[in-house]
Amino acid sequence: MPATKTNDNAMIEINRSLPGASAPIEPIPVKIVGIGGAGSSALDRMLLDGVDATDLVAVNTDVQSLTASVAAQKIQLGNALTHGLGAGGDPEVGMQATEVALPAIHEAIEGAKIVFLVAGLGGGTGSGAAPLIASAARDDGALVIGIVTLPFTFEGRRRGLQARSALDQLRRICHSVIVFENDRMSELIVPKAGIQQAFIQADHCISECIRALLSMVARPGVIKVGIDEVFTALKNRDPQCVFGHGESDGDNRAHEALARALKNPLMERGKLLEEAANVLVYIAGASSLTLAEVEMIMTELNRHIKERTQILLGASIDARLGNKLTVTILSSVGSNPPQEYVPLSLPGRQQPAAEDPVAQSASMPERQIEIIESVVSVVVDEPDLPSKTELPAELIPAEPKSNGASSKKGKEIHQQDLQFENVSRGRFEKSEPTIVEGHDLDVPTILRKGFRV
Amino acid sequence: MGRDDIVVGLEIGTSKICVVVAEDQGDGTIKILGVGQVASRGVRKGEIVDFDTAQQCLHDALVDAEQKSDIEIESVFVGISGSHISSFNSRGIVTIPEEKGEIDEEDIESAKASAKEVSIPAENAFVHQILQHYYVDGRDGVLNPVGIFGSKLEADYHIVHGIRNRIHNTLRCVKEIPLSVEDIVLNGLASAQIVLDQEQKNLGALVLDIGGGTTDYVMYHDGAVRSSGVLAVGGDHITNDISMLLKMPIARAERLKITEGSVILGNSLPGETVALKDETGFAGREIEREKLNTIIHMRMRETFEILKRRLENDSAFGYLGTGLHITGGCSLLKGIDNLAQEVFGMEVTLTHAPAMAGITSAFENPQYSTAIGLVKYAQAVRAEIPAEGVLTRIFNPLKRLFRR
Repeated sequence: MPATKTNDNAMIEINRSLPGASAPIEPIPVKIVGIGGAGSSALDRMLLDGVDATDLVAVNTDVQSLTASVAAQKIQLGNALTHGLGAGGDPEVGMQATEVALPAIHEAIEGAKIVFLVAGLGGGTGSGAAPLIASAARDDGALVIGIVTLPFTFEGRRRGLQARSALDQLRRICHSVIVFENDRMSELIVPKAGIQQAFIQADHCISECIRALLSMVARPGVIKVGIDEVFTALKNRDPQCVFGHGESDGDNRAHEALARALKNPLMERGKLLEEAANVLVYIAGASSLTLAEVEMIMTELNRHIKERTQILLGASIDARLGNKLTVTILSSVGSNPPQEYVPLSLPGRQQPAAEDPVAQSASMPERQIEIIESVVSVVVDEPDLPSKTELPAELIPAEPKSNGASSKKGKEIHQQDLQFENVSRGRFEKSEPTIVEGHDLDVPTILRKGFRV
Repeated sequence: MGRDDIVVGLEIGTSKICVVVAEDQGDGTIKILGVGQVASRGVRKGEIVDFDTAQQCLHDALVDAEQKSDIEIESVFVGISGSHISSFNSRGIVTIPEEKGEIDEEDIESAKASAKEVSIPAENAFVHQILQHYYVDGRDGVLNPVGIFGSKLEADYHIVHGIRNRIHNTLRCVKEIPLSVEDIVLNGLASAQIVLDQEQKNLGALVLDIGGGTTDYVMYHDGAVRSSGVLAVGGDHITNDISMLLKMPIARAERLKITEGSVILGNSLPGETVALKDETGFAGREIEREKLNTIIHMRMRETFEILKRRLENDSAFGYLGTGLHITGGCSLLKGIDNLAQEVFGMEVTLTHAPAMAGITSAFENPQYSTAIGLVKYAQAVRAEIPAEGVLTRIFNPLKRLFRR
């Protein structure tokens, strides 16, 4: 009896999902390498978010953090060098440690067609190891996509510069680099949320990005998106990543999913899209995804972008999504077109690229000293300061958190250990935050600009 | 009672609720009969957050206004604000059939409708659709296209929209009094009506109404609204900054801002302090003047910079003949004109409602620009559509809210 009525719907659903399930999908071998503390916690998050059929590799200098990782493969960097501690915020230590472990890394990523590198730049392990691992992966003939975070501004100028220089190297080595700026990510979170929550959110965002990229390139699409199109979308000289992901299963799911994707702070409410030259849109749903929905999403999206912008559209059917429809938008904006973009398969270019980080790092120590010295003197030139006026002594910016003595404390320098400034919003605590251009304007301007009164 | 020539403007502001009762004198001028006001509670950033408290304040303000003007208030023009308000420019195009040739009212209506055929978010409602210019067969400068022969009529409109539910919250508060709402008006637009004259609108002007919770801006060029919007930052933010950074209660921070605050830096002696008296007159602690001014300066500079970034992309921004007009309570801050001039790089006028008939002298204060602007707007609207009956006048705005 129950089979007659209640199973009716279920039967249809099973039938529907059959074609998708039975179609032989050649899984593309993928490795996701989480580098350093930030990288491995992103891996943890990915597993929780259900990133599937992929091998996670955790790479870290810090043994404690490595044992806690959920990754299937774990590689410890530079046991002899750091004795199981972290790289102490020094990229050179991170790099030396990685050099020793290169054979193990080669072994772990062997056979992968696509390698995602997830790292938090700015610290020792992330900044030092990521470029080396990237070039190792390229030597193995894999497509290398870097997904990195840049440190919060409040983490200090030096960390920022370390991150920048690592990013420059990565840009030369990787096929493509997606950059999440922590400063912008922090808008994902209500200011009151705990620091734990803040990092979980940031990891979640990265994980969504990888998941979307994976399904784009690995899942057969009705309208196919190739990895080349992902690259096109991300191509820019000094790109600012524009990423939004939204899903919905409501009545008006197409509209809602898009609205959610556009609400992502990395989109600045769709404003950034106006500047983008190429926008990749990826729509996925179960077989109930209709052409009308795709059309509706595209018409709505068209309102946010300029006419000359190229849209790269991908759509795919994924029975696992059930009632859900997901919209992923990926793009980048930058001031200049890319100049020395490494073409996909030019073996000749790989060698110099791989050597670059070494050459760069040779000059690192000198540069760092310079940086530390300039920390205080630069202050006056800060463009945001009131011009032509002397500031009271107390208003001098807070000391950068990671220089001199503190960097010797080793693993305490991990991103996770940093404290947010305890910024409250006073009488606006309970009202809707005024978020403009990525800043919570309810927080006093002075605090946001990094002054102490 | 029920006099047709009475217009009432209601501003539910973050710092005060203000009701202005005025009489339309029939010659394009208004005479203010009475102004009721109470300090506002339950309003943040231009929007009601505590419904009951705000309604109580609104009630008190209305009673105050009725007593002072000796008029029973039946319907009001309500000013709205809030960060949810956004705006854009849109062009409506109508092709006139060849056999007809002459443009009539109906064509204008359809041009207007076609300009509205842009989709705004589903939860939003239109607030204003303000005419900018007509073009007939691509020729501009047409003031009234009715009767002109042409094959194509284009009309540019400035469209203001906001989240329907949030507008409704304000309206519900008014309607439950009960009062009828004749129309809703963007606060910034109301202020602009009173601080600018037609000549200034033609030459180009940017009006900033920096109030307690929001900064409302309207940019006029060539006699038409080019751009408008709301930034949910106002004087409250300065007070909050002072209160948080100098660790003092909000009420004291507010007083300190008003009595001692300035946006000018480098004007005080090194180590100069301000003695902060508490309620009993006892000199409590001393605040370093430069520190106080830096807090205010940074906030205002940032606010101006944000506004500039929002507006400078408009091609008209560099061609505002009469420059920047600052009004609203915050324009009383010392030195704000200098700072605005430095950031915007244009002529800055601190302005308020001009003298008019009635008991206005007390209200020639930038704090009342919006409230008085509302009655001015109301009078202008009434003058434009005299044919509209009382009933439609009441139902139109409601209808408009439900229409998308």
